[in-house]
Amino acid sequence: MEEQDYTAFEAYLTNELSQEARINFETRLKADAEFNKAFNTYKELSAFLAHTLENETPSEAFKSNLENISNTHFSKYKKQKTVFALRPWQYAVAASIVLLIGIFMFDNLSNPQFNDYNNYQTISLTVRGDDSELIKTAEIAFNTKDFNKASKALNKLIALDAENAELKLYRAIANIELNEFDKADTELEGITKGNSVFKNKAIWYLALSKLKQKDYKACKAVLKTLSEEAEDFERAQKLLSKLD
Amino acid sequence: MSEKKVHEDQKYINGLLENNSFIIQAIYDKFVPKVVNYIKQNSGSVDEAQDVVQDTLITIYNQASQKKLTLTCPFDAYFFLLCKRKWLNELKKNANKEVTINEEVLSKGDDVQELVFETVLFGEKEALFAEMFQKLGAACKDLLRATFKIKSMEEVAASLGVSYAYARKKKSLCIGKLTALVQGSPKFNQLNS
Repeated sequence: MEEQDYTAFEAYLTNELSQEARINFETRLKADAEFNKAFNTYKELSAFLAHTLENETPSEAFKSNLENISNTHFSKYKKQKTVFALRPWQYAVAASIVLLIGIFMFDNLSNPQFNDYNNYQTISLTVRGDDSELIKTAEIAFNTKDFNKASKALNKLIALDAENAELKLYRAIANIELNEFDKADTELEGITKGNSVFKNKAIWYLALSKLKQKDYKACKAVLKTLSEEAEDFERAQKLLSKLD
Repeated sequence: MSEKKVHEDQKYINGLLENNSFIIQAIYDKFVPKVVNYIKQNSGSVDEAQDVVQDTLITIYNQASQKKLTLTCPFDAYFFLLCKRKWLNELKKNANKEVTINEEVLSKGDDVQELVFETVLFGEKEALFAEMFQKLGAACKDLLRATFKIKSMEEVAASLGVSYAYARKKKSLCIGKLTALVQGSPKFNQLNS
């Protein structure tokens, strides 16, 4: 095609030909096959360019929206795929894990243990203005589960303050941890007979001491003496039902 | 086009055109699982299925926005056949994949075949046009971009620092050059034969 043919295509498409030129143009379209083909391609290309260049924003918006929906939709297949992709040996591993968990749970359910209950909250013995080194030592040792050290520090503190039920309670707990059951039980029984705020705590720990000694009968008997207002009442009931 | 009855599934075409998320979502929920199954049964992966579906929907969108796309058959059949053809073409490209082509997976009405043919042709031409556009010189590309973006030719002329008449003439010559490039490509003659 010649340059003027293309300018004529454009003028025809934008309706800028005179009536006479228009008729001539249409006559040539019918008579000249090459001209007709070129015109049709030119027209298609104009539409293509108009769409891709002028329309960039809407079609970009469509594509990004489509991509989001597509990714969400296909993520389902990908999840499914991983579920069904287990190999036989993977089933064996999964089964073993389930079995182990089962054994562990069964063991725990059948036999309540002292270790299920000895997660103490951190204790705080320091009093403002009265922070002796000894108190700090006892506190840190107890909180870091160094019960040997804690017990020694508490012995010294109790020597200075013989009526302090709180210190005695912690010393008894330390002794349970150290398997010094006689010392622990005597101390705890002493507290349970008094009227301090640590009375119920002492009952609870006395029961735990019996639990650790596997004296389940004594453990149950002690637990039953715990009053309903006690902080540990609910735990005590659960432990009781496990022991039955 | 003859006076065929517009199928009620035209709503899916219109929804794509309007970028309507609910409709696009519905297309994925209703029609895509079948395509995924087909591709998986024919040596493809889920990822490949995702690409085929996405490309097909973009082609439909482009055709609907550039030309009129009137659906005279169910969307399901039209869409599935398009995806299937696209996938078979992909397989042909990587011929080392084993192909077990299960034909006759859908009833082939004339309307479906005709529409699918048009869309496939449209998609292939579009790809060719885009390729040829890249072959134009920088001056032509810039002028065409400006022309179609800024609709008014006076503004285009001003922005490029040329006269209005020159800009107009240049536009038609650039599209003319593109016409010649397209007509000269073997692919185009193959498509038009």
